[in-house]
Amino acid sequence: MRTLTFHFAASQAPATQVHVGVVASGDLEVLLDTPDGTPEVAEVRVRTSVDGFDTVWRETLERFFAHTPLGGRWQLNDFGATPAVVTLRLRQTAEAATEGRS
Amino acid sequence: MTIVDWQAVLHRRSFLEGDALVRARTLLDPDGVQVLCGPFDRIESPWLEPQGIVPQSDDGVVIARGTIDGHPVVVASIEQGFQGGGTGEVSGAKISQALRLACADTRNGRATAAVLLLETGGVRLQEANLGLNAVAEICSAVLELRSGAPVIGVVAGEVGCFGGMSIAAGLCTRLIVTPQARIGLNGPAVIEQEAGVDEFDSSDRALIWAVDGGERRTQAGLADTLVPDDSDQLRAAVSAAVAAGVPAADDLRSRRPDALAARIATARPQPPAPVDVTATNDSRGRIWLASLAHAAPTEVAPSVLRADDPDVTFLAVVPDPSSPFHRARHGEVGLTEAWALAVAIDDVVRADAEIDAKRAIVAVVDLPSQAYGRIEETAGLHQAIAVTVDAYHRARTSGHPIVAVVVGAALSGGFLAHGLQAQQILALDDPGVQIHAMHESAAARITQRTVDELERLAKTILPLSFDVRDWAQLGMCDGLLTVSDADHPTAADVAVVHDAIHEAIAAARIGPRDLSNRLDSPGAVRNRKASRTIRSTMAEQWTS
Repeated sequence: MRTLTFHFAASQAPATQVHVGVVASGDLEVLLDTPDGTPEVAEVRVRTSVDGFDTVWRETLERFFAHTPLGGRWQLNDFGATPAVVTLRLRQTAEAATEGRS
Repeated sequence: MTIVDWQAVLHRRSFLEGDALVRARTLLDPDGVQVLCGPFDRIESPWLEPQGIVPQSDDGVVIARGTIDGHPVVVASIEQGFQGGGTGEVSGAKISQALRLACADTRNGRATAAVLLLETGGVRLQEANLGLNAVAEICSAVLELRSGAPVIGVVAGEVGCFGGMSIAAGLCTRLIVTPQARIGLNGPAVIEQEAGVDEFDSSDRALIWAVDGGERRTQAGLADTLVPDDSDQLRAAVSAAVAAGVPAADDLRSRRPDALAARIATARPQPPAPVDVTATNDSRGRIWLASLAHAAPTEVAPSVLRADDPDVTFLAVVPDPSSPFHRARHGEVGLTEAWALAVAIDDVVRADAEIDAKRAIVAVVDLPSQAYGRIEETAGLHQAIAVTVDAYHRARTSGHPIVAVVVGAALSGGFLAHGLQAQQILALDDPGVQIHAMHESAAARITQRTVDELERLAKTILPLSFDVRDWAQLGMCDGLLTVSDADHPTAADVAVVHDAIHEAIAAARIGPRDLSNRLDSPGAVRNRKASRTIRSTMAEQWTS
């Protein structure tokens, strides 16, 4: 198991707490909580069952937050999801967190 | 010729494809659903991360409160994707506390039914002894609630309902299954691993569904309602079961030792092959039963002994090398043993029905496990053990002090049947005493570790340990007794255990008649903090 922490610049805060996904084989759970202080930061904590993919995590997350600068406290509990599944879950979370806003 | 309504098939919404929350919401009325101890409460299992396993924020169980067609209900929905739906300390505590809170509401005049979505491989072996205890507490909580409000079990599929939680399924007021569902105490892979491919070929899917499958279980009377994997039909079946309320006691599967006897009679075991007759008369269960009781032991069955002193009945499961059930010859709890224990307990309860000072029941525990066998699963060993658990619970709640004294092995389903429903549990402080969810080599294989790795982890992860002194710290041990010879007890050894039993009986008489004292014990305060957090957090959220 590996624990990783990242910080990304953000310009938007989530309207609500969001929980998606399951810590199931090939999948992950995402919890997005409203920010503690500054909404300009997305604080991402990853726990993954697979060691040795730190770079892949960084790049996957960088790409996502470049498109979607959504702040708050992100917790990702991963059980071997591929980057595509990770991105899908992140998008699903962002969609739910900003729903109802135009 | 049957005409298939293809439109209906095409528009069917799958129930089992949803995650735990979706399945719970599918059953509940849309308004006023309250999720208790949810993901953002972040009450995770404290035992997984130190083992290098990623935890889930709700530990894989969704507790959702609401109504079903207007009836107050709490749904406990197990997430099959997380650790195979395995019951750990936190996930188990969530289910038992939800049942207890529903029971409290029911007693206060607001009957609250429970729906258990039992998609589970059984005890989570990474939390072994705490998972095993959690199952015992769930069983007790199901029985507490079941007398006042229905407890509906649903097994939809994918993982099935195996291990200790299948006993909880056997205790439900009503059980609803799909054709994809499987229910059994020992899963096919576990039987193959324990008893060989001749006993159970776990690659034979047809065989598996012919033994454990939802259709088969319904035909055999071990489940009530068979519905296709269709959310609307499942909801209708659950709603009807909730609306039907509490049935007569005779209508409950786990209250029917007679029906169990009939199933055993049709089990047609193989004629006994020649077996070694060694190690039968020196079974610790037999020796300690004979030493502790003043009265001579009598056979309820060749493998279940009973000894009746004036105020105590002792019960023990012992080896029977000539049992027709070849997987239950070494002291395992099989069909006959589960039935005989229930019959003996019922007999004690009936005899004391009119008496205020009810006699104590002492379970002398020395069990290598439950019986791992195809015949056992076909006849429904999970249901047989549910009958035993129900009998122990009935004796306890009607005022009989129940004490277990572990003198040898106390493994998994065997201990759930005979021992873990006691108010007070004593154990000998002896290397031959092993209390666990599964024996070491099997637990190592299933959690994909070597035995060495498992032993290393067990040194720091308390519930994994096979050492009885570690088990005694988990908050369910009421006395660890020092004896000089656990195999051949001296008079002084017997006196020590005898005195401890009588102290335990006295404590049980004045203590609660449920298992709630376990979570208040000093051991639990230290080592079951997460369970205690669940208890307080859920109670707070429930009233708000």
